[in-house]
Amino acid sequence: MSVAPPDQDLSLDESTDVEATNLTDSGWVTIVWNDPVNLMSYVSWVFQTYFGYSREKAEQLMLQVHQDGKAVVSHGTRERMETDTAAMHSYSLWATFSRDA
Amino acid sequence: MAEAFRRKGDQILGRMAAEERAVVIDLLEQTAEVLAPPQRAETGDAFTDLVASMGEKHDPEEVAERDPVLRRLLPDGHREDSEAAREFRDATEGSLRRQKSELLHRAIDALSGIPEKDDKVRLTTEEAVALMRGLADVRLALGERLELRTDEDSEELHRRLMTAPDVPDDPRLVLGLYYDFLTWLQESLTLALMPR
Repeated sequence: MSVAPPDQDLSLDESTDVEATNLTDSGWVTIVWNDPVNLMSYVSWVFQTYFGYSREKAEQLMLQVHQDGKAVVSHGTRERMETDTAAMHSYSLWATFSRDA
Repeated sequence: MAEAFRRKGDQILGRMAAEERAVVIDLLEQTAEVLAPPQRAETGDAFTDLVASMGEKHDPEEVAERDPVLRRLLPDGHREDSEAAREFRDATEGSLRRQKSELLHRAIDALSGIPEKDDKVRLTTEEAVALMRGLADVRLALGERLELRTDEDSEELHRRLMTAPDVPDDPRLVLGLYYDFLTWLQESLTLALMPR
């Protein structure tokens, strides 16, 4: 348990502002990259199973990975995207997280 | 001779001869060995050891010098920002290795203990998922050894295997035959497991 600090200057300076924004900043993405090994059916199964996407959406994303070399598979906070990236690695897909360009 | 897997009620059924099961078990075991975490002084207390393995620091030089198979199985989480990639690895690699190793061993167990003469393989959904995911890692490892870098490399290997003799002299083609068999096996499991 913790207690609130005694009365202090509570005005937010610029640095605290940035910190606060980072926690809720949802401008991050998880990208899955094409590779020559993973099966199209399996990639679609992973997208349906992990993200809960419909078969149609999963197949559309899978085809985008296959044809364009990569696809954004989820959007959210950096923390959430790191979780999704680690999950994709656990499914043997090659994924990275980055700022939404 | 193997027969494709299919769903029947709660089970995923297929056929694999004893030699085929032995090859798959061997490759699953080899992949688990590659993924085994580097030796760390264990205290003997499971909880202490688990905590010690979390938030572990990874030396970027050690990561760069790894076997390409291991690098492929545990890839970077960020492409441009090496600091973010390092932090990500420190936070996730330990649990990723444990998770993969658990799945590989579940897959090995599912294929073990079937009588030699029996070729029927009966899997629960969980076992089938573990085997399908384990095969994904084994195929990544074999794909790296076969230097499959592009979709064209995979197609070219497949073409060469179509015209190869049953027992090729070229060791790369022997590896390729295993790879092709695992591709077929993983595809068959994936189709049987596909949500309807």
